[in-house]
Amino acid sequence: MTRGEPEESAETRRPKRDEGRHRRVEPPAGRAGGTAMTRHVLGTIGRATFLAVVLGFFSLPLLWLASAPFDAHPSITTSLPEFTFGNFRSLLDNPYVVSSLRNSLLQAAGSAVLVVVLAALAAYALSRVRVPGRDALLYVLLLLSSVVTGTAAMVPLFELATRLNLIDTHLGVVLTLSGGLLPAAIFILKDFMDGTPTSYEESARVFGASPLQILRHIVIPLVRPGLATIAVWAVANVWGSFLQPFILLRDPDKAPGAVILYTLYTEGGAPRLDLISTFSLLYSLPVVVMYVFVSRRYGFRFHGGIKR
Amino acid sequence: MISLSGLTKEFPGGVRAVDSLDLEIGDGEFFALLGPSGCGKTTLLRSIAGLETPTSGKIRISGNDVTALPPGRRNVAMVFQDYALFPHMDVTSNIAYPLRIKKVSRSRREARAAETASRLSLSELLARRPGQLSGGQQQRVALARAIASHPQVFLFDEPLSNLDARLRLEARTFLKRLQRELAVTTVFVTHDQGEALALADRIAVMNAGRIMQVGTPSEVFHRPIGTFVAGFIGSTPMNLLPASAEGGRLHVAGAVLPLPGDIADGPLVYGLRPEYADLSQSAPTGRRDVFSGKVAVVENLGAAHLVTLDSGDLLIQVVVPEGDEPAVGAPAWAVPRTGRALLYRDDRLLTVA
Amino acid sequence: MSQADPSGLGRARAVGFVLPGLVLIGVFLVFPALWTIYLGLTDYRLTGLAAADPQVVGVDNYTTALGDERFRNSLWLTLQYVLGSAVIGQAVLGFAIAWVLRNRPGPVKRITEGLVLLAWILPSSVVAFLWIALLDRDDGTLNTLLHTPGFAWLLDYPMLSIIVFNVWRGTAFSMMLYGAALENVPPSHLETARLAGASTLQQLRDVVFPRIKGHVLTNLLLISLWTFNDFTSFQLTAGGPEGRSEILPVYIYNVALSGGQLGFGAAISFLVLLINLVFAFVYLRLLRDRRKVVVP
Repeated sequence: MTRGEPEESAETRRPKRDEGRHRRVEPPAGRAGGTAMTRHVLGTIGRATFLAVVLGFFSLPLLWLASAPFDAHPSITTSLPEFTFGNFRSLLDNPYVVSSLRNSLLQAAGSAVLVVVLAALAAYALSRVRVPGRDALLYVLLLLSSVVTGTAAMVPLFELATRLNLIDTHLGVVLTLSGGLLPAAIFILKDFMDGTPTSYEESARVFGASPLQILRHIVIPLVRPGLATIAVWAVANVWGSFLQPFILLRDPDKAPGAVILYTLYTEGGAPRLDLISTFSLLYSLPVVVMYVFVSRRYGFRFHGGIKR
Repeated sequence: MISLSGLTKEFPGGVRAVDSLDLEIGDGEFFALLGPSGCGKTTLLRSIAGLETPTSGKIRISGNDVTALPPGRRNVAMVFQDYALFPHMDVTSNIAYPLRIKKVSRSRREARAAETASRLSLSELLARRPGQLSGGQQQRVALARAIASHPQVFLFDEPLSNLDARLRLEARTFLKRLQRELAVTTVFVTHDQGEALALADRIAVMNAGRIMQVGTPSEVFHRPIGTFVAGFIGSTPMNLLPASAEGGRLHVAGAVLPLPGDIADGPLVYGLRPEYADLSQSAPTGRRDVFSGKVAVVENLGAAHLVTLDSGDLLIQVVVPEGDEPAVGAPAWAVPRTGRALLYRDDRLLTVA
Repeated sequence: MSQADPSGLGRARAVGFVLPGLVLIGVFLVFPALWTIYLGLTDYRLTGLAAADPQVVGVDNYTTALGDERFRNSLWLTLQYVLGSAVIGQAVLGFAIAWVLRNRPGPVKRITEGLVLLAWILPSSVVAFLWIALLDRDDGTLNTLLHTPGFAWLLDYPMLSIIVFNVWRGTAFSMMLYGAALENVPPSHLETARLAGASTLQQLRDVVFPRIKGHVLTNLLLISLWTFNDFTSFQLTAGGPEGRSEILPVYIYNVALSGGQLGFGAAISFLVLLINLVFAFVYLRLLRDRRKVVVP
């Protein structure tokens, strides 16, 4: 950003037109006043430019998702569509599309519930009761989680699921994905719990509330934004997961949308862009809607500390 | 009645916040735990509540040993320094919370909450959240919640410290009247000696985990048994001057005073509250029982002034009525009133001079 | 005075609270991880003789990997990827957005945050298609915009492409985390610094950073780990062309699942774990040492 202009140069330099105009409005400013004004104007311009670039960068790739699904002959280019809803109709003709949405929903909801409940309980206990080495434990689990959700552990995971009779079950996908998400969820939620003053809990305790009552009446409502955030995060993660369901589910009737998306090719192996773009849009909507709903209702944040 | 015997709380790392402490608090008494920060008063209060587990010693409430009981079964209510009002519940739910825990039906507990609220003039605010209340209102909601639980004992942790100065006086008067009406044994923690003197029936002055003195406000103010209490109590700190007894006379800061009773020769500490000396701007002729010095600082207290005299290497403070304040730099003499000075030896009160 | 165990949970109940999560993690995370470590010591393969009866070959896989040009190249690319897209890209851009938007109410903030977050919550498989469409050689949106038809971003600049992609994908997390962290910086501290004449950079260094150090640590740790093990870029370049964007997760996939050398792939996974461990240690050290520095 264009900031931190040396004072002398800013003062001796001839004012640009913009600055000049501002100066005339201001009462005769001293040296310092003029410099501060220059800085302020430059800062504002810098900020606006920066935000414009950010907006452009983040919206550009999304354009295709807004145009292609409604285009009768979509290509890779983003263009004004030859408007149609026909793509949606032909998409719904695909037998696996509707069931894949249901599967995604089952797996995402199952994992989110499991992750939120187990992570909340664990994070609360870890935040409030001093266990030696708990931070080291959390860091190690975090490390493991990011590595093990990678590709190499797929073989052991497959073998494990086979032995536990979890192949071709939603439960298998839910448990595998939850195991990978839990460490980060506990880590983030513990931060929320740490940021909550303990006097609320103590107060309830003096009135005779049991630990479970305290959790239900006090702690959970207080960290609700954190729980909501973790739920959204878990759903978004599961919703986009390809590798685990691809390996653990043989039956295409059980495959989630993320896997089905990669089956939308012609027999010759070319991607069917009409279907892919349409399904991409359809598949993205639920997470976006959920995010909007949750963030409106509870707020969406990754760090605790509550406002009173 | 609360009785503590041999109570000790040692934190990990060996810090003794409360050090083998004995104390009896009577039924219906308004009792203050007073001391500087870190003296262990809050730890003591939290031990009575059950939020701290004592390392050793016993706590009895109404004759029952509650030392091992969890806080919820001690029949006490606590008001926290930050009030700890649940931010996600409205005023009604906050006040009714103790009843919810006792499984009182919703309609009964809401009626009780409304009743308690009206008693504390909170009826208009029942539907608000704590975040929408002023500091004074929050404090009253916290009190209402404590009252609604009908405890045997109230415990207040610095109940007035989060209020601004003017509100604090109002709340102080209110709190005292409320306690009288309810007649429930109340223990409160404060670092403000003025608050303790104004509110309490009795005060325990604490320092470094120990109780230095227990007494009525008048006792701890007029007869502090050690120099710590003497220095801590009083809105203007007591003058504590090195002195010595020699041949039946008391030598202190250049003055020679009569020595009462049978005090052996040796070093003493001479204590005199600034309120208990008169300032003279002309030298009292032929008297050796006055302190002479130069006016170093004059501080306006409103209806009075606090004058600091520079007497050689000692400073002596005197409160003078308005209109009588001397000019800075002028010579002045402080005349102690008889029967008001305190003599300490080895940090123990010997007598009143 | 905050005390341990304010709600009277007690050891036994605390263990009960932690246990279900730990069991799940133990079975579906720690156990496969240990298994992977074991596989790394064998010549296990997807097909053939060694699939039926894998032999323990000791540290052979490791010596092979460390001597392998392809592995070293992949490691180097991964470091570029993590440094470029996570540490520099996501963390710096995320902080910058959070800082610029910090006191700004209204639509600008909502729209910017919304877009950045959208990039983050969209399903990975969808996102990959979006970027293929954006960067396509023949009629991608970017080439249309820049009037550079036929420019093959994914072939000519594969690393740059996936780095920019990952910045786009992951900045939201850092932005959110720093946004919340900046709320914890008391305005009076910033005002004091400004009254003393501190420039923006000085304010950041002297006032903001010391207050949010914990958040910086958490953030860098999480995004580095996530980026280090991110597989999404496979859907853009599949590691190509000629391995020029073959970061370690993709390398492992190509070796273990495509190439069938499961034992070798597992060994590399274990090396990745060790490298991640080093990363975590470096962050912890860096940020802890800062605390000891006494202001002169």
